[in-house]
Amino acid sequence: MTDAATTVPTAERRRRVLPAVASYLPFLPAIVLLGGFFLVPLGIIVCYSFWEVVDYNVVHRWTLDNYHYFFSVTAYVRTMWATLWVSLVATGITLGLAFPFAYWLSRYVPRRLRAPLLVLAVVPFWTSYLLRVYSWLTILGQKGLLNRFLQWTGMTHHPIGLFLYDRSAVILVLIYLYFPFAALTLYSSIERFDWDQLRAAMDLGATPFGAIRRILVPQIRPGIVTAVIFVFIPILGEYLTPQIVGGTGGVMIGNLVVNFFQAAEYTRGAAVSLLIAIFILLMLVLFRRSLSTREAYGG
Amino acid sequence: MAADVEILSRRGRVTRLALAVYGTLIYVFLFGPIVLLVLFSFNANRYGTFPVTAWTLKWYRAAVSDYQIHDAVATTLKVAGEVTAISVVVGTTAAFPLVRSRLRWRDGVRVGLVLPIMIPGLLIGVSLLVLFTGPLHWQLSPQTAVIGQSVYTTPFVILLVSARLQGFDRALERAAADLGANAFNRLRFVVLPLILPAIIAGALLAFTLSLDEFIITYFLIGTDITLPIFIYTQIKFGITPEVNALASMLLAASLLVLALAFALPQVIRASRRAVRFGTGRRAARITA
Repeated sequence: MTDAATTVPTAERRRRVLPAVASYLPFLPAIVLLGGFFLVPLGIIVCYSFWEVVDYNVVHRWTLDNYHYFFSVTAYVRTMWATLWVSLVATGITLGLAFPFAYWLSRYVPRRLRAPLLVLAVVPFWTSYLLRVYSWLTILGQKGLLNRFLQWTGMTHHPIGLFLYDRSAVILVLIYLYFPFAALTLYSSIERFDWDQLRAAMDLGATPFGAIRRILVPQIRPGIVTAVIFVFIPILGEYLTPQIVGGTGGVMIGNLVVNFFQAAEYTRGAAVSLLIAIFILLMLVLFRRSLSTREAYGG
Repeated sequence: MAADVEILSRRGRVTRLALAVYGTLIYVFLFGPIVLLVLFSFNANRYGTFPVTAWTLKWYRAAVSDYQIHDAVATTLKVAGEVTAISVVVGTTAAFPLVRSRLRWRDGVRVGLVLPIMIPGLLIGVSLLVLFTGPLHWQLSPQTAVIGQSVYTTPFVILLVSARLQGFDRALERAAADLGANAFNRLRFVVLPLILPAIIAGALLAFTLSLDEFIITYFLIGTDITLPIFIYTQIKFGITPEVNALASMLLAASLLVLALAFALPQVIRASRRAVRFGTGRRAARITA
């Protein structure tokens, strides 16, 4: 199609450039939406975090005050570490629980039942996030199932606040929220693994642990990495779960962001948001080798 | 794979039983809270929890006749409709160059386009709040919430449609061109029908995501309320049976749309196949 036109270079170039431009044109709406309302606002947040507020007005004067302020308040710094800790623990337990489940599904469940059972496990992930957090109130709350049951059986006479409003309640609900996703990603990589390789490795003298470490883990690593990233990152920016079941003991960094913005302290809120973004960026850089988008796009 | 499970030793059988019990417990864990929530919405007990005193529909009646809830439902549906329209148009058009053009930084662009899914909604919400109230001086309204939600739902449509385009046989388009179809007709009669299932699935997915979205909306909608925000403000005062009823209805709605999202594309494909086979058979009869 293009070879015949080599005698007319300029016309040919135009013919080649125009379709190229035209083929990028469909990106325009996405560039406007995701560029203008996603990247630009993130850039503004970065700027805000380094700007000053004078008389409730944001002044374009560069400063590190917002960060100084955050790190000068012990409660904030403690909340930041607690958030990282909660994310780490919740991600670890979620994956730890999801692995045997995925293993069971791919190895022990009859083939025709696998797809329906997998869908069943993933369905909660697509239902309302708020309602799934709320549903735990009916179990853990002051008037929740657990307390009512204990009172009804006469084991206690006053409701126990213990089940709710602390860090462990937050971790429990977070595991509940992200289990389906971890199970799905782990399942799809475990399912492809050829378990005879493990047996072969052991026949050749590998210890079970050695075989798992050197044969199984490298092959299912992409699944593990995807699960870690997609569980850890949203938990870093969690707001609702600590807000609803966490109380004062379960506050996370996301709650600080909301508090700052609701108090109209935009620049301080922006600084805390940027801290979350930096942690996310670190995660992505750390795992960039094993992270592939090809699969998500079906290629 | 299944065969070696059958000839397992005693230990193997114990493992299998233990894992089956474990799997069952996982499902109890996943569905227990939701089932209880729905159960308590039918409970006459005023506290909305244990014990069950009698079964009733009065909380549903109360929820259905609440004016505040009417408003919230109207706003939620309006926002969800607009979000769906935006994400389908933007997502579908973006999927084409993403899959088809020789993009220089394809992997980078791909990561960039799914970034709004990876990043916590909280950050999308606050950064847009700053943009709208700061530099742009826009009044917060359902429209600003629509923009915020679209940022989050569009990548899902991009993913679905580009996955479909990836498996698309371009020879079909060339054949149509050889037969004299122009670009518009190729798109209208060849490409769009083939990727329609993915577009419909994307639309329904965007719709459910929008129905349930909380945090972005919370920051951007101003004084209006959507259903999730209404429920959130009620939760602050503890569990009430009306909220249980409302929550159950919202759950049912999102499950319904979700089921459609998965079932409809297959129904479309199946019906097309039926039509094709039908005409084929008729043609065969005619030639016979």
